[in-house]
Amino acid sequence: MDVTRREFIKTSAAAATATAAGITIPVTALAQSKEAESGVQWDKAVCRFCGTGCGIMVATKEGRIVATKGDPDAPVNKGLNCIKGYFNGKIIYGKDRLTQPLMRMTDGQFDKQGKFQAVSWERAFDEMEKQFKKTYQEMGPHGVAIFGSGQYTIPEGYVSAKLMKAGFRSNNIDPNARHCMASAVVGFIQTFGIDEPAGNYDDIEHTDTVVTWGANMAECHPILWARVSDRRLSNDNVKLVNLTTISNQTSDIADTEIIFKPGTDLAIQNYLLREIVKRDAVNHDFVKKHCVFATGPYDIGYGMRATSKYAFDAEKDIQAKELKVTLDKDEAIAQRRKAGEVVEQKNTKKPVAHWMISFDDFKKGVEPYTLDFVAQLSKGDPDEDLESYKGKLKELADLYVDQNRKVVSFWTMGFNQHYRGSWVNEQNYAIHLLLGKQCMPGNGAFSLTGQPSACGTAREVGTFAHRLPADLVVFNPKHRAFSENIWKLPANTLNPKVGSHITKIMRDLEDGSVKWAWVQVNNPFQATANANHWLKAARKADNFLVVSDPYPTVSAKVADVILPTAMIFEKWGLYGNAERRTQAWRQQVAPPGEAMGDVWQGLEFAKRFKLKEVWGEQQVPGLQAEGFEDGRLPSVLAEAEKMGYSPDDTLYDVLFANADNRKVKWPDNSVSKGHANHIADKLGDGWFPEKALFNEYRQFGVGHAHDLAEFDVYYRDDVRGLKWPVVDGKETQWRFNEKYDSYCKKGSGFDFYGKALKALPGGDLDKVTNKEKTSLAGKAKIFFRPYAAPPEQPDDNYDLWFSTGRVLEHWHTGTMTRRVPELHRAVPTAQLFMNPADAEARGIQRNDVVWIESRRGKVKALVETQGRNRPAKGYTFAAFFDEGVFVNKVCLDVTCPMSKEEDFKKAAIKVYKA
Amino acid sequence: MNISGILVIVSPQQVESMVDHLNGMNGIDVHHIEAATGRIVITQEAETIKDEVDGLKRIRALPGIILAEMSYHNFEDDSELLDAIPAELDDDNIPAYLNE
Repeated sequence: MDVTRREFIKTSAAAATATAAGITIPVTALAQSKEAESGVQWDKAVCRFCGTGCGIMVATKEGRIVATKGDPDAPVNKGLNCIKGYFNGKIIYGKDRLTQPLMRMTDGQFDKQGKFQAVSWERAFDEMEKQFKKTYQEMGPHGVAIFGSGQYTIPEGYVSAKLMKAGFRSNNIDPNARHCMASAVVGFIQTFGIDEPAGNYDDIEHTDTVVTWGANMAECHPILWARVSDRRLSNDNVKLVNLTTISNQTSDIADTEIIFKPGTDLAIQNYLLREIVKRDAVNHDFVKKHCVFATGPYDIGYGMRATSKYAFDAEKDIQAKELKVTLDKDEAIAQRRKAGEVVEQKNTKKPVAHWMISFDDFKKGVEPYTLDFVAQLSKGDPDEDLESYKGKLKELADLYVDQNRKVVSFWTMGFNQHYRGSWVNEQNYAIHLLLGKQCMPGNGAFSLTGQPSACGTAREVGTFAHRLPADLVVFNPKHRAFSENIWKLPANTLNPKVGSHITKIMRDLEDGSVKWAWVQVNNPFQATANANHWLKAARKADNFLVVSDPYPTVSAKVADVILPTAMIFEKWGLYGNAERRTQAWRQQVAPPGEAMGDVWQGLEFAKRFKLKEVWGEQQVPGLQAEGFEDGRLPSVLAEAEKMGYSPDDTLYDVLFANADNRKVKWPDNSVSKGHANHIADKLGDGWFPEKALFNEYRQFGVGHAHDLAEFDVYYRDDVRGLKWPVVDGKETQWRFNEKYDSYCKKGSGFDFYGKALKALPGGDLDKVTNKEKTSLAGKAKIFFRPYAAPPEQPDDNYDLWFSTGRVLEHWHTGTMTRRVPELHRAVPTAQLFMNPADAEARGIQRNDVVWIESRRGKVKALVETQGRNRPAKGYTFAAFFDEGVFVNKVCLDVTCPMSKEEDFKKAAIKVYKA
Repeated sequence: MNISGILVIVSPQQVESMVDHLNGMNGIDVHHIEAATGRIVITQEAETIKDEVDGLKRIRALPGIILAEMSYHNFEDDSELLDAIPAELDDDNIPAYLNE
C-alpha cells in the first residue's frame, strides 16, 4: 500500500469514527475521506452475531466486501463495533467454504456409510425427497423434524415454519434458540401474557443502577456494556452490581461483585422479595392496580428422560432424580418441608400450571429467606468472609428498594440455562413489579438475548414446536383457525399436538421416534449438551440427516447430505434484536460457487410435494384435541378442492408462490437500489419471496400488539430498525406504559394487556383450593418460586463445578469466528479456567493439558489459571466454541422443565493431567 | 497492512495526558479531539490484525480509559494470515475431516 493511499484510508477511518462519536470535524477532512472511498459502495446492514443487533455499514467493491464500519446512525451501537462485529466482512471468506452439495455415496448411490462426494442440487434434493417420503409414509408427520435457529432471517424462519406446520402438518420444528432464551419466553408469557421485553436499550442511559444476573455483558454483549460503562464512568451516582458464579470481565468495572453458588440465585431473589416486604418498600398502589400473586407446583423434575433405558451407567444416579428427589436441608427450609423427605416428581407433565395466591401467602412463602439463611446457602467463594458477603446482599437490597433510584436488571444465559430457568426469570419480574419499577425509562427487568434473531425470528415468527407467529400457539383452536385463515388452509390442517423441542428431537433420533431431520442455520450436534448420545444417534443406520451450512461443522460431519448455504450479506434478510427492533439488509455480494440461501432451499424442497401426499389423513400418536379423532389428523383434501386447490398442486404453489405472493414482483428497483437477489433470480418466476413472505407474515401481528411495518419501510435510508409494535408508523419505546404504548387502555397508567394465561384458579402455597377461574385481564403476575437444589452437584468423585459459555472473540460453535484468522489467533482454543489452588492440588500447572471428565464423557483442554475468568476454589469454566475441546460431551442435558432449555452451567466434573 | 479507527473516551481532565501518551505509541495517530467530553479519535496501523487487536487491548489497559472501541476497519488481503486458521478447517473442496 503506498503512502498516499494509506493516509487516505486513515483520514477516512478517523472521519468515520469521529462521525460515529458525534465529534465535529473539519470539512476538509470529510472531503478527503469521501475521496478515499471512491469506487466503494456502502450500504446499511446488521451484525451477524449476538442479540444486541448492532448496525453496521458494509462496503463492496467489484463484488467483494472490502470494509465494514459501525453505523453512526444506528441507535443501538452509535457507530461502534466489538471485536467480533468488526470482522463481519471476513466471515464469508473462510478458506473451507462449502460451494457444492455433498452426499455420502458408494458406487454412485447414496450410502449411509459412504464418503462425501460432490453432487448436483437436483441429486441432493432427490435423495432428501426419497428419504423424507419413506419416513413420512411410515411414521407420519411426527417422524420428521427440523432443527431451526435464532439466526434464521425472518423470511427463512417463516418459510421453514410454514412448510413444516402448514405443509407437512408437523410441529417438529424447534430452534437452537430453545437453548438460549426459552426460559425467558416462559417468564414473559407467565408474567405478562405476551413475549419480549417492555423496555429498550435506552434504559441504560436513563437508569442509575445496573444489576447483572448471570450475564457476562462485558464479553457477551460488549457494545451494550460499552454503553453501561460510559453511563457508570460519567456519573458517580450510578452503581453496578454483578451477580455471577465466576469472577469475570463484567466484574472489572462493577462496584460490587457477588459470587454465588450455582442455583442459589433463586434464594437470593427470594431474600430480596422478603426484604422488600419487611422494609415495607412494596409499591402498594402499583401492585394493587396492576398485579396479582401466583405460584405453582415444585415437583416438576429436571427435564430429563423419564426412563434410564438410554442412559450410560454413570448417568443413572442423576437420571433417577427425574422421578424422585430427596430434599436436602436447604431445600427443606426453602420449601417448608423436612430434610430427607423423598418427593415423587408428580408434575413433570404439567410444570407450567399455576394458580393465584394471596399477598399473605406470598409473604409466608418468602419468610424463610432470611439474610442468615440465604447468605450461608448462596455464598459461592469459600475464601470469602461470610459477614462481608452478607454486607453485599444487604447492599443489593438497599439499591433495589431505594425510592430515589432507578434500577435495570439484565440477565442472559446464567438465568436462562438453568434447571429452574423459568422461575429465576419470573422472580426478577417479581422484584421489579413489587417495587413498581417496571416498564418505565430506566426501570425494568430486561432479558437480553444471545442470537441476532432469537426474538425477531425464533420467537416472533414462531419456529418452536408449540408456536405459530405472533405469540399464537398450536394447541389453541382459535389460534389455529386464525392462522389457517391467513395461510388460506382448510380447517384442521394444522396439527394441535405440540412437537418435539430441540433436545427431544435429539432424543427422538436416539430412540427412533424421528428418522429424518434437517439442520438449518445452526450446529446442534456441537451445541447440545450430552453430545456423545446425539453424535451416535445421527449415525444410526435408519436415520437420515441433512445439514445446510456454509462451513463443514460437527453437524455436517455426522450428516448424510450437506447443502452449501449462502451467508448473511449474500442474501436479503431481516433480524429482530432484544429490544424488539426489526432491522433489514440487502444482498451485498453473490454467494460463492453453488451456495444458495436457506429461503431458496426451503422453497425448492416444497416444489417436490403435492397436496395429496401430505394433506390426506395422517397418524399422530398421542394427539388428543377437541374436534380431532384421537391419534389422527383428518384428510383436508376435499376441503382443499372446495377452496380451489388441486390435489396435484405443490406446496410451493399453495403455500409460497401463490397468486397473492406472485403479485409482489422482482425486480423491485425502489427497494433494491441496484442490489441483486440470487434467490429471486434462481427461482426465475418473477416474484420477490422475501418481501412477499414478510408482508404476508406481518398480517399475524397487525392489530394484535405485534405490529410490524411493511417490508419497504425497513429498507428506507432514514430507518435504522423499528421497535414493534409499530403503530401508525411510530415505534413503541416502553410497552405496557400508557405514556408510550398505544395498546394500553386510556387512563390505565399501566396495562399488562398480554392475553395468554390470564384466567386462573385460586389456591394457597401448596395447591389449588378453588378451581373456578378468575380473569386477571390487564394484570401482571408476581410469582413465588422456592429454592430447589441443582440435580447434579460436585461430590467425592466429580469434585468441581463446570460451566460453559462464551468468550468475546468467538461466537457460539465458532463456525464463523474460527474462520477469521485474526479471531482464531486471538483465542485459538477453549481453555479450562480454574483456580490456581485447585490446579496445584491436582499437580497441574498453567498450560498443562488435562482431561475434563463428567458422568457423560471427557475432553482434553489446556489449563488457564490466570486471565479473564477467575473462578473461586471449586469452580471451572470452558467456552463451547471450539470443536477440538468439545465441552458439550461433558455437559448435562437437564432442562428447565417448563421451558425445556438445557442447563449448560452446572455439571460436576473431575480434572486430571492428560 | 490494517488500519482501524478507534474511539477513546477518558475523563476531560485526562485528555491532554492521554493524547501525549497515545502519540507516543507505535502506529497510532491522534486525529480529532473533543476535550469537553473526553473523546479522542485515533487511527491504528499494524502489520497484522493480531497486532492491531493487541494494540487495542494495550490502549484499554491504560489508566483512566473509560472506553476504547473500534469503529472502522479496512482490510487488505493478507494471505499469510490464512495460514493461521485451525488446521482441521484448512482444506479445499471436500474437507478430509468430514470423511474421518
